Amino acid sequence: MQAVGLGPRGEKAFPADKLVLTAAEAAQARAGRFAVAIVLHTTTSDWSRQELAGIVATLGHHGATVTEIIDCGFDKAKQNHELLRLATAPIHAVISLPIGSAGVLEGHRAITRAGKTLVLLDNAPSGLRPGVDYLAVSSADNFGLGAIAAELASPYVTNEGVAGILNYEAEFFVTNEREIAFRKWMSAERPDVTLVRGRFAKVEDAGEAYRRLLADNDDLDCLFVAWDVPALKVLCAIREGAQTLPIVTVDLGNEIAAELRSGGPLKGIAAQRPYDQGAAAAGAALLGLIGRQPPAWISSTGLKVTRESLRESYEAVWHAPAPPFELRL
Amino acid sequence: MDSDLSSRPPPRPTARRRVGRPSTIESGAASLATILTLVRSGVATTRLDIEREAELGRAVVADRLTTLERLGLIVEGELGPAIGGRAPRNMRFRVEAGAILAAHVDRESLAVGLADLDGVLIVEHHEAVDLALGPETILDRLTTLFLWLLDERGGKGRVWAIGVALPEVALFDANESDAFDIAALDVLKAWRSFDFSTELSLRFGAPSWVRSNTEMMTRGEMKAGAGLGVQDLLCVRLDRSVSAGVVSDGRLRSGAQGLAGLIGHAPTSEGGDVICHCGAKGCLDSIASGEAVAREALAAARDGRSRYLAEILERSSAVTANDVSHGAQLGDAFCAELLARSGRLVGESLAPLVNLMNPGTVVLAGALAHSGDIVLAAVREAIYRRSHPLVTRDLRIVRSELGGSAELVGAAGLAVEEIFAVPRLREWITIGAPRRQPSFEAFLAEGRARKRTSASPSARPPARA
Repeated sequence: MQAVGLGPRGEKAFPADKLVLTAAEAAQARAGRFAVAIVLHTTTSDWSRQELAGIVATLGHHGATVTEIIDCGFDKAKQNHELLRLATAPIHAVISLPIGSAGVLEGHRAITRAGKTLVLLDNAPSGLRPGVDYLAVSSADNFGLGAIAAELASPYVTNEGVAGILNYEAEFFVTNEREIAFRKWMSAERPDVTLVRGRFAKVEDAGEAYRRLLADNDDLDCLFVAWDVPALKVLCAIREGAQTLPIVTVDLGNEIAAELRSGGPLKGIAAQRPYDQGAAAAGAALLGLIGRQPPAWISSTGLKVTRESLRESYEAVWHAPAPPFELRL
Repeated sequence: MDSDLSSRPPPRPTARRRVGRPSTIESGAASLATILTLVRSGVATTRLDIEREAELGRAVVADRLTTLERLGLIVEGELGPAIGGRAPRNMRFRVEAGAILAAHVDRESLAVGLADLDGVLIVEHHEAVDLALGPETILDRLTTLFLWLLDERGGKGRVWAIGVALPEVALFDANESDAFDIAALDVLKAWRSFDFSTELSLRFGAPSWVRSNTEMMTRGEMKAGAGLGVQDLLCVRLDRSVSAGVVSDGRLRSGAQGLAGLIGHAPTSEGGDVICHCGAKGCLDSIASGEAVAREALAAARDGRSRYLAEILERSSAVTANDVSHGAQLGDAFCAELLARSGRLVGESLAPLVNLMNPGTVVLAGALAHSGDIVLAAVREAIYRRSHPLVTRDLRIVRSELGGSAELVGAAGLAVEEIFAVPRLREWITIGAPRRQPSFEAFLAEGRARKRTSASPSARPPARA
């Protein structure tokens, strides 16, 4: 299956699972004994843990060391500060997930200007130049994920009904792509549906944003929440409220998987493959470090997950057996 | 839908008129434009520097700066360095006073962007699309995406100007209709007769400019990419077809008919039997373009010369130039050789131009240029081999730094350049925004009236008895 979305500079996707080092490249990478730092928006989500697992396993397999893992707590200032510090640290490369579209350019540029290799996760903010300011981006096919979410939501939206989108307020390429694709799919396949949108500035505010959206649109049929962590907040808010509402989201974390299995309001998940994306990011960094030019946009396709397909999807995403909650199905 | 714009009167001056001195709103457009240009460009940002550069008195400068602040165009910024007294306050152009919309439409994709009034992109989005859908469908999609970008960023009222990059095939009769079959010729006609610029202006109530993708890409690289600060530049687009933007003495050269840079029709050393759509044999386009690479790749997939491409063909029933790039990156010898041949032929065609122009930099852009190091290396080798050593002594041959964003950056940059061009700036500066410029409002009113007339049943010719 091919990615349907284009990269942040319009690049066609290179499949993440095809990015492997040849034996000669692997030997060269091992001889380099490279040191790599990882900078994430958060390390507390299952997505982040899976992404980290993919990066660390791949780097370790090729003899590279992870010197530190930095959790920026969604704080742009902290990310800039940490990147500026890493620019002078004794490391060879940084793998970073930029928080937002603006405000973190300086820190990321500093890494490359210091002669270090920079590989991005998820997105490349406008203003960063491929091949100059960064080497490559490894991401999910977020446009495809948005389309999958719309397809999952569609059966729950009545004819001429209302579907909601609850998205992050920041300029986040990935969540923007999901929303654009969700809207495009609905406009093409369900032109009868009216779309309304709510925004949250912080993940903790997602429940409140849901309540506001519902207060303004009491005829909502279904809600798409941009990823699993805010979706969990929305599910709490739904339970506390008088009215239930079908929701769909992106990312197959443990908690959201349990929610899907329980048969509650969560009806479907468009799942990324964070482990594969992390492994591809590490592979791209290693290729760059040995002087090879990896593709600028590396992407993995999403998975459509329903209660029925949860077990095999979980195992495909996590590269591990499904936990006991799933075995009870 | 924008009827409010055409009927909106310009804001009345609120400052009380002083005896013996005309108000700035009535007579100061020229000095306001001069001062805004000085501040925008950074040539002069303190009162003292502005007085000196504009050759205006202290009182006039103070008055004009107050007016510009009231119009929301400038704001007092940080303190500058002191030179013997109090530190002067720098004036700053408010790049956030409005927004620029930029779009880029290509054969298989489109992109939209939102930029500030310096033309710096704040957000962009790219997606797949088929040019054969026709101009109205594409315009509707651009409109949807623009409205999405503007939602929660101030709405349509914040748009000051729009820049659009369209493929040459949609603009010029003289260029490349190769990718379209006979059935699509109607679509091409529709593109060439469609007034994209006016339609966009009518939808967003802002002036718009449309240029070719190659021109916008070159402008983008000049503004913020590998062509920044380069006075003599060749910007080569290696995509489905091959074309180039030519910059000489810092100016983009478009030629007598606006067709400068059609290097896809340069003859190659490997003539071959493939007839180009221009009628000649052996054109660069028909042998080394992305279209030609895809055609050769398909043949190789079918006859087994490339195992990788054969697998792709089996899986997806099509092979593209992008697959060739991937194949080369994965070590497929045929794909690597095909890209190297394409790069060599492009380089050989560029060598005479390099001798003729003596550019400081050659920028390679487009999908083929970003397919790894093979094409770049082959182009470099051919140019160095075929050009005079003196013209290549300091020549830089580099990949585009902006990738697929170059056209958006160029389109936003052109729109900014146009609205702040001094003659136009003088027309709107006393009103505060170009979208309220009287001549533009008259243009919009005329356009709307024309649309109403053409849509009205009474406008149709009477049926013959």
